[in-house]
Amino acid sequence: MNAIIDPRSVQADSAPHTGGLAIRHVDKSFDIDGRKLSVLEDVSLTIAPGQFVSIVGASGCGKSTLLRLIAGLERQNRGDILLDGVPVAGPGLDRGLIFQDHRLFPWLTVEQNVLLALSNSDEAAADKRVRVASLLTLVGLDGFAQAFPHQLSGGMAQRAAIARALAPEPQVLLLDEPLGALDALTRLRLQSELQRIWLTRRSTMIMVTHDVDEALFLGDVIVVMQPGRIARILHVPAPHPRDRADPSLAPLKAEILSLLHAG
Amino acid sequence: MSLIAEFPPNFVHADRIDDHDPPPAWLVALVKRARGLLLPVLLAGLWHWASTIDASTAYAFVPLDQIGDRLLLLLSSGELAVNAGSSLGRALTGLALGGLSGIVLGSLMAGFPMVERLFGPLLQAFRQVPLLGWLPLVGLWLGSGEGAKQLLVAVAAFHPLLLNSYEGFAQAEKKHLEVGRVLMLSRWRTFRFILLPTALPSILTGIGQALAFAWISTIGVELLFGTGAGLGSLMHTAQMAGDMGVVVLCVVAIGLMGYGLNLILSLVRARLLRWRVTG
Repeated sequence: MNAIIDPRSVQADSAPHTGGLAIRHVDKSFDIDGRKLSVLEDVSLTIAPGQFVSIVGASGCGKSTLLRLIAGLERQNRGDILLDGVPVAGPGLDRGLIFQDHRLFPWLTVEQNVLLALSNSDEAAADKRVRVASLLTLVGLDGFAQAFPHQLSGGMAQRAAIARALAPEPQVLLLDEPLGALDALTRLRLQSELQRIWLTRRSTMIMVTHDVDEALFLGDVIVVMQPGRIARILHVPAPHPRDRADPSLAPLKAEILSLLHAG
Repeated sequence: MSLIAEFPPNFVHADRIDDHDPPPAWLVALVKRARGLLLPVLLAGLWHWASTIDASTAYAFVPLDQIGDRLLLLLSSGELAVNAGSSLGRALTGLALGGLSGIVLGSLMAGFPMVERLFGPLLQAFRQVPLLGWLPLVGLWLGSGEGAKQLLVAVAAFHPLLLNSYEGFAQAEKKHLEVGRVLMLSRWRTFRFILLPTALPSILTGIGQALAFAWISTIGVELLFGTGAGLGSLMHTAQMAGDMGVVVLCVVAIGLMGYGLNLILSLVRARLLRWRVTG
């Protein structure tokens, strides 16, 4: 009765057991010119290990702040964020973060950028390079290891940023509007790539977006936010890899859009 | 009439182009490369002309053949090489000592507001004193030996690198530092892979300025002190002896060496900053 209807339940034994998040009664406010600006109020959310969660909302609703709290870049004023039962107290390699702008270091090659993400690993240098090469293959950047970021297109740079975020093998990958700065075609292609990567890695992924179609194409769970709070949590029953024309998505899209307009 | 109509209006124009064949590519390339030599050669010609007017101008503008004799003499005795090497060593040591202290202090001032508040006012005031203003005090403390020269050259190289590296390190971007935090980079790696590359273009600009100041002040202090080896000392001695040929040679050598140092630096700079978008 409490069983979660999981389209991947046939391979439940391969499902990950780490990367579960519990967000409990979290408040966050910023001080702007001495005035308190509340961004999140009493937000609670539970994310199962290996889930793909899309967070949608209008700009300024606090969705990016929520992601930055999980990443440990900001500290909540109240409440707890637990990763596999352990409170988040700052950044950690168990969580990766991908920004809207790729934020590659322009002075490092693609390979060096990804290698830097492995600087806390004890592996031999040669092993690290092998790992970086396989990551670049995973994101479709074979042959671009020695390129500098300014030589890449926006989509390719974001692929490199994905490889860098995946390198430390985080249990939770946080994506802050990762495709927001890309053109429509590149965006569609990278959405499919993200889905493929997620199906390969099986880590928890939490993506913030304001594109409802993108949220529905990728997410098992859609968190709809209105300013400062979670308005609704929806489950997407369609299986992965997902068909954009899946008929079950249309009513969900209508529901999300009406919630966003109401907010 | 019908004859004229047979020729299109641009025929005459085309004919004119055909008349003047474009110069061969190698000649164009040679002229392009040698353009910088045009004025020096012209100046040498003027110099030569001035030296032939009468005896008094021949003293001020030493005839070129005399300069050539002097050059052969200085080269064969090794005097030019020894003195040029001494000046070069002095300039580069001063650049290293003064420049490194400037970079270290500049980075600390950018990274720690406390250091900035502590050192800022003193260094600002310190910077207002021209190099020559230190001469009496430095002479009193260190005499006119190598230590005094080296100190003054180092001071000359210190300021441009202090200012430029301070500016460079202050440009560190929050978005890059956040990536460093997410990737859990150590303090050293944050410095090595984020702060230092951010500051590098400014630091290289500073090195360019510091190199020029170090070279100029090296020759300056050598001329003023007139002791020991160095192109400035050689020039000083030659001036005392009325040997204007050597003076002229020293001026040319100083110019050429400064030019060469700059050239090397610009190559290093292009190599180190090849990650930047060009064009």
